[in-house]
Amino acid sequence: MPPRLNIGSFARGIRYRAQRQSQWRIQPVIRTAIPRCRFYSDEKDPPVATRSKRIDSQSLPVVSEEAAKMAKITGTEGPELEQGTPIEEVVKDDKEAISKLPKVMQNALKAKPLDSTPKCSRSYSTTTTPTTAGGVDLGLVDFNLKTRPEVPGVKFGLPTLPIPKDAHVKHRYDPVVDQVTNLLMRHGEKSVAQRNMALILEHLRTAPIPTINPTRPLIPGAPPPSHLPLNPILYLTLAIDSVAPLLRIRSQRGAAGGGVALQIPVPLGQRQRRRTAVQWILAAATRRRHVGSGKGGFAQRVAQELISVVEGRSGVWERRNAVHKLGVAARANVVLPRKR
Amino acid sequence: MPPSQCFPGFALLALDRAAHHSIASRSLLALPHTPRFSTSAPRYGPPPRKGMVAPPKRGTKTLNVKKGKSSPSRDTTKRPAPGDRKALRKRIVLSNNNALEVPTLQDLHKDTVLSGENEGLVKGLPEDVVDALRAVEAFKPTQGWRLFRRPAILMRKETTLLAALFREVEGTANGQAKMTVRKVLIGERMSGKSTMLLQGLTMAFMRDWVVVNLPDAKDITIAHTEYAPLPGSQPTQYTQDIYTANLLSQIAKANQSILGNLPVTTNHSLPIPLPSKSTLKQLAELAITNPEASWPIFVALWKELTQPGRPPIMLAIDNLSHIMRNSEYLSADVKPIHAHDLALVRHFVDRLAGKTPLPNGGMILAATSGSNAPTSPALDFSIQVAEARQLNPESIPQWNPYKNVDQRVMECLKDVGVLKVAGLTKAEARSIMEYYAASGMLRAQVTEPFVTEKWSLAGMGNIGELERVSVRLRV
Repeated sequence: MPPRLNIGSFARGIRYRAQRQSQWRIQPVIRTAIPRCRFYSDEKDPPVATRSKRIDSQSLPVVSEEAAKMAKITGTEGPELEQGTPIEEVVKDDKEAISKLPKVMQNALKAKPLDSTPKCSRSYSTTTTPTTAGGVDLGLVDFNLKTRPEVPGVKFGLPTLPIPKDAHVKHRYDPVVDQVTNLLMRHGEKSVAQRNMALILEHLRTAPIPTINPTRPLIPGAPPPSHLPLNPILYLTLAIDSVAPLLRIRSQRGAAGGGVALQIPVPLGQRQRRRTAVQWILAAATRRRHVGSGKGGFAQRVAQELISVVEGRSGVWERRNAVHKLGVAARANVVLPRKR
Repeated sequence: MPPSQCFPGFALLALDRAAHHSIASRSLLALPHTPRFSTSAPRYGPPPRKGMVAPPKRGTKTLNVKKGKSSPSRDTTKRPAPGDRKALRKRIVLSNNNALEVPTLQDLHKDTVLSGENEGLVKGLPEDVVDALRAVEAFKPTQGWRLFRRPAILMRKETTLLAALFREVEGTANGQAKMTVRKVLIGERMSGKSTMLLQGLTMAFMRDWVVVNLPDAKDITIAHTEYAPLPGSQPTQYTQDIYTANLLSQIAKANQSILGNLPVTTNHSLPIPLPSKSTLKQLAELAITNPEASWPIFVALWKELTQPGRPPIMLAIDNLSHIMRNSEYLSADVKPIHAHDLALVRHFVDRLAGKTPLPNGGMILAATSGSNAPTSPALDFSIQVAEARQLNPESIPQWNPYKNVDQRVMECLKDVGVLKVAGLTKAEARSIMEYYAASGMLRAQVTEPFVTEKWSLAGMGNIGELERVSVRLRV
């Protein structure tokens, strides 16, 4: 049923002066229909109203409206402001009466209240399920309009603290997965990179349990290898963090003299370390043989490279060790701030 | 299982060449003369010494095929054999040893598979049914079977509807004519139409029906398998011998327990001799060794299956829109052949249209595809009409009279019913997500808000999307 006009919700009261009964009687029968307010054609303001915004210059509201306001302030029952007969409510359960209603009102009663689903071809559409009789259920989590919180000034209640780490829209995914996805991306095609990331994780979780090589120790605190396939994100993180170099070698021109660049080891932050490791792994994966065909080839090679990193077979380990060795050799070149 | 496609005629080519060669040699004998141009002397002579060959003139371009720094080192290892890459891509893996065994998972049982009490539960597939389904190529490589320990299906609302249809077919009394259900599975992309077809096949296998499944209509019509006109057909129909032979071997393998017990009862005029007292399984397997006779064998097998007293038949096809248009084949006068002129497709379409009912009862099930569907306006319109006939019979859409109509498709789908595969309810979504979590593939606590979140992310319970957002870690 369409909502009846709620005059109380208008910003400014619409003036309506109730006419006296005697005037009604002399009018013809047809004219004695429900009195209507024609909001778009009627004059908005009575002639007495001036354009001034000052309160004292504005005309007083109609008697009944004023009484209703007073009643609201004092908390008592005021006069009914709403006009017209609520016909829909009257005939609600009376089928015979409904059948005698005018066609327009019948149609309005019959029309579904926004229940029919719109046409859409998207897979992510919200039309898959035919909605139930209880209105459209959009599946919003914990969104209940009826239970308003008591805290004033907050519309949907205060969040429970501490706020979870992934509650921020920009940090909702695992940081390693995010970073690797971005490094997988070519030509700005992020969706392809995301698909490849999903395929890599799928390969990791279906591959057999890795055997750890004791000469290539993973980072301390690593879980037993049997746990890895069930947690592919941990698998990925472990592989990347284990081969991530601690430093890089910066070549400073002219510092050593004689045209030789001075090799200075520079420590790396966590994100930079991971980035280097991922780039090494991706370079090693590109050099691998492409055995299959189709879209998932690269993802499969990257996944195999990750597995071989964890198993200690990958050439990335040599690369890391070489960087560390060079760093140790060049440690004399590190310039530390002078002690006082 | 031999592939459905093959390249014919290489042997013929070789024969041709041999013939020409013999002619050439004879003509040489008749007219001996020295060849004007020969590479024999440089080839068989000693290699030139290094200093002997003059360097190329300045400014001339020479071919440099030496290995050097400029050319990247070429990979000289052996390439995969032809077909291996595709086989790897299309491989069906039905088990993941890393996934946890779900202790609460129970197998479907023959007696209860059609009852409504399974609704909303995840049920395992028995091993023999899995083998049969694999034989008829019901599993697809894009589906997520490879993530779980063993294949299991969610008995959703639509499954119950399908089971009710099975009960109707089986429940017809002896005196009455047996019922034939004809349905097209429709729904949005990734809403589980092919899986619903697989569930239908599962029920048919468990209820001891004879199952004939055309795994993908695309394979029949894209002209990757050989074809020949069927002699004596008016208008000309075309048989696909290799494909039909493969199909017959699949039928024999998937239904071996049923077909092995049914004897051949009538005399068939087959081009190859059939041993007396043979079973239907032997009849079907005859096509493996004689693919050129596969179409008469298929007709004979169908005739046997429609004799009175035989089990009901399940006839299914996936990717329906490929057979509702012109095929990629060309006729002798270089005109496109309509897919309905292919004998195998015609056989299916006649049953789908209800032109030739199944005397022992059965079900004709066709699934549309959301991801690989060539446009077929007549099919789309017929589906709309069928939907309107079910939902609001007052307003049935009319065909735009200014558009060309494929009358054969319209005829075929005139009164076929549709079964809409919609989204899961939240209870069903919760049930399958609990199964995901118990398999160790979903690392989260399955709570009401979590289920609701994933359910709405998946377009209000689209099961493919639900799997994508919850199991496949697709960001």
